[in-house]
Amino acid sequence: MHYLLTFRSLTYAQRAARILERAGVTAAVSRVPKAASTRGCAYCVTVPARYREKAMALLAGADLKPERVLLRHPDGTLEAAV
Amino acid sequence: MIYLDSAATTLQKPASVAYAVAEAMRTMSSPGRGGYESAMLAADTVLDCRTALADMFCVKRPEQVVFTSSATHGLNIAIRSLIGPGDRVVISGYEHNAVWRPLWGLGADIRVAASPLFRPEEAIRAFRERLPGAKAAVCTQVSNVFGYILPVEEIAALCRREGVPLIVDASQGAGAVGLDFDGLGCAWAAMPGHKGLLGPQGTGVLLCREPGEPLLRGGTGSMSAEPDMPDVLPDRLEAGTHNVPGIAGLLAGVRWLERETCPAVLAHERELLEAFSNALPRDGRVRQFRAPDKDIQTGVLSVQIGDMDCEEAAARLGEKGVAVRAGLHCAPLAHKTAGTLERGTVRFSFSPFNTYREAVAAAEAVKDILG
Repeated sequence: MHYLLTFRSLTYAQRAARILERAGVTAAVSRVPKAASTRGCAYCVTVPARYREKAMALLAGADLKPERVLLRHPDGTLEAAV
Repeated sequence: MIYLDSAATTLQKPASVAYAVAEAMRTMSSPGRGGYESAMLAADTVLDCRTALADMFCVKRPEQVVFTSSATHGLNIAIRSLIGPGDRVVISGYEHNAVWRPLWGLGADIRVAASPLFRPEEAIRAFRERLPGAKAAVCTQVSNVFGYILPVEEIAALCRREGVPLIVDASQGAGAVGLDFDGLGCAWAAMPGHKGLLGPQGTGVLLCREPGEPLLRGGTGSMSAEPDMPDVLPDRLEAGTHNVPGIAGLLAGVRWLERETCPAVLAHERELLEAFSNALPRDGRVRQFRAPDKDIQTGVLSVQIGDMDCEEAAARLGEKGVAVRAGLHCAPLAHKTAGTLERGTVRFSFSPFNTYREAVAAAEAVKDILG
C-alpha cells in the first residue's frame, strides 16, 4: 500500500519529494487522480505506506504540510487518511 | 565587434547557456501540465533554477522565486501588489523607467529621494527624511546609467525601522553585487535573467516575501477548478506556460556564476573599467562619471565625449566596432539627478567576457573619434 500526499503546487510536491528522497524515503511526484482532486489539477507525492510517519516528520521539519493524505489500497481505491 | 553594452543585455554568454536552451527545446515540454517524462524533466529544471537562485540571493524557500519575462514585469507585479493610487512612495533618484512609469501610471504620490551621484551618505539621508508615512519604497541596487551602487543595506534598515516595505530593483546588481534578500528584509526584489545572470532574453526573476497580486491571470496547472488564482507561490504569480528553454538557459548561466563567483566577476569588470578609464584622454575632453571610491561603482562607466552629441558619438563608435549605449538609458530620473538630462551620456558596460585588450581598444576608439 502507498500514501498519496497532495500539495497545492507542483513546486511544493517536487520539494517534498526531494527532501524525502534525500532521507532515503522512496518518493515519486505524479498527478493527483481526478476522483481525489477536490479543487482541480494538483500534484502529489507517493510514498510506501511503511514510510508514512517518517515522511510526515521530515516534511513537518521542512514546513511542508500536505494538503491531504490519502491511502491507496492495492485495488487502487483511495481513502482519506486521518 | 567589441561589445560594451552588457548593462542592456549580455551578448556573450557561457557556451552552456545556448546548449541548455537547445536541449530544453528538444526534450522538455511544460511543467505542471502533465506527469509524463518531458513535463517532469521541465519541472525538475525549473525547480533546479528556483533553488539555485534562492541560494544565490539568500531566499528561504525556492517557491519565493517567481519567473517573469523581465525585471520590468517583476517590478510591475511588486508595485501593483503594494501601491495604489495616491499612495506615497519614496524612490531613489536613480530609478529606471521600469519603476517610474508604473508608479506614475498608478497615480502614486512619488517622492524622489534625490541625492548627488556617488554620495551614499546623502542617499541614506534623503530616504531617512522621506520615509515616515510612506506606503512603500523602491530603490535600485545599482544605477544602470552610472554603475553607482546605492547603499541598499542601509536604506533597507531604515525601511525596517519605519515599517515601510521595500522593493529592490536588482537589475544591474544581480550576478555581480551580492543581494541578501532575507537579510535585507525587503518585500520584493526584481531582476532580469539576461544581464548579469547570463541567461537568455525573455527571462526575469522576482523574489517575493508574500504571494502578492497577480498581474496576469490564467492557467497554472494547479487548483484549476477555482476561479481565482492559487493563493500560494509561485503559482499565484506565474499564469501561463513557462519559458522553459529560457529558464534552462538561465540555470546554466547561474551555474556558471556559482563556479566563477560573483565577487570575481565584479572584480574583473572593475579592472576593465579602470583600464578603459585610464586609457581615455586626460586632457579634459572626456568627462568621466567615475566614483571616487571604487567600491561603490560596478563595471559601468558613463562619459561625455567632447562637445559631441552622445548619440552621434555612439554611432561613430559603432562604426569603429565598439557597441555602446547612448542617450538617457530609459532612466531620465537618474540623468536629472546627476545633472546629465540635457546631454545624456555614452555608457560603456563591461561583462565577464570582455578582455583588457578590448577595454584599451575601446578607449583608443574614443580618441579616434575625438580626432
